[in-house]
Amino acid sequence: MEQKLKLKNEIFETIKNLAEDNTLLVDEETSLIGEAGLLDSMKLVELCLTLEDRASDIGFEFDWTSDSAMSKSRGMFRTAGALCNEFISQMEAKT
Amino acid sequence: MIIVTGASKGLGRVICERLISKNFEVLGIARNPENLPFPSVRCDVSSYDDLKAVVQNLKRDKVRLDGLINAAGIASMNLAVTTPKNVSENIINTNLLGTIYSCQLFAPVMLRNKAGSIINFSTIAVALGLKGESIYAASKAGVEGFSRAFAREMADFNIKVNCIAPGPINTSLLKGITSKQIENIVAQQVIQKQFNPETVADLVEVLLDEKSHSLSGQVLHVGGV
Repeated sequence: MEQKLKLKNEIFETIKNLAEDNTLLVDEETSLIGEAGLLDSMKLVELCLTLEDRASDIGFEFDWTSDSAMSKSRGMFRTAGALCNEFISQMEAKT
Repeated sequence: MIIVTGASKGLGRVICERLISKNFEVLGIARNPENLPFPSVRCDVSSYDDLKAVVQNLKRDKVRLDGLINAAGIASMNLAVTTPKNVSENIINTNLLGTIYSCQLFAPVMLRNKAGSIINFSTIAVALGLKGESIYAASKAGVEGFSRAFAREMADFNIKVNCIAPGPINTSLLKGITSKQIENIVAQQVIQKQFNPETVADLVEVLLDEKSHSLSGQVLHVGGV
């Protein structure tokens, strides 16, 4: 539980850094893409690559191209919370 | 590393051999890679899962991918009305979907370096609308459209995406085309000459070279149209 919370905060912090706005409050509901989205396509890819590296440190492969990750109405990139949940769910399935 | 699909024969094979002779590290992808004299892996490009397995291995080994050459392709020279449904599906699955899947899956490995060159293969049949090649031309027109749009998507990451569109190069894809038909096609090129696979390998070298950094989203017609 503690690890999950720590990971979520790490991911939120990464998103905040990529958005280059220190005043920003990133939470579960923060939109990543779309009209109100924080990240452009380049930043989104950078986020995925950062998460790949983090997953590798933890000991699993983060797959951001899978059908299940991409589906569910624009998939894991809808919100910061959806992305965290996908990352954690892949971690739990693979470790 | 440079990945080349369709590595077991035709243009793919010649390209692999050329790049190896120029000291590139090459991984060939083929449905039947047995006895290939260079590193290769069995993979059907029309299978997303096959390609994904190759990509996962590259990621696991932290391979730096500098180039992707999608040379895998099949053809069936026939009138559309006499082409069986399964043949049409195979052509679209291998030529168009195979290229799309390969780009979708390998590009993320290249994104990490913010550099690279992707080379897809079209055909002169698209520009000339060649009779008897409608399904093949449709699949390759799709590759051209995909490549132009994909080039824009990749531009921010400093990855070039271009197409080479050969005329009647002497490979197994020409099986079933008469010399008269080849002459007719060649006569429609700007440079009226049948080129060989080595010419295509020359263009591949150019597109992999940093000196072609200003070229992306282009279709290079061998012989010109």
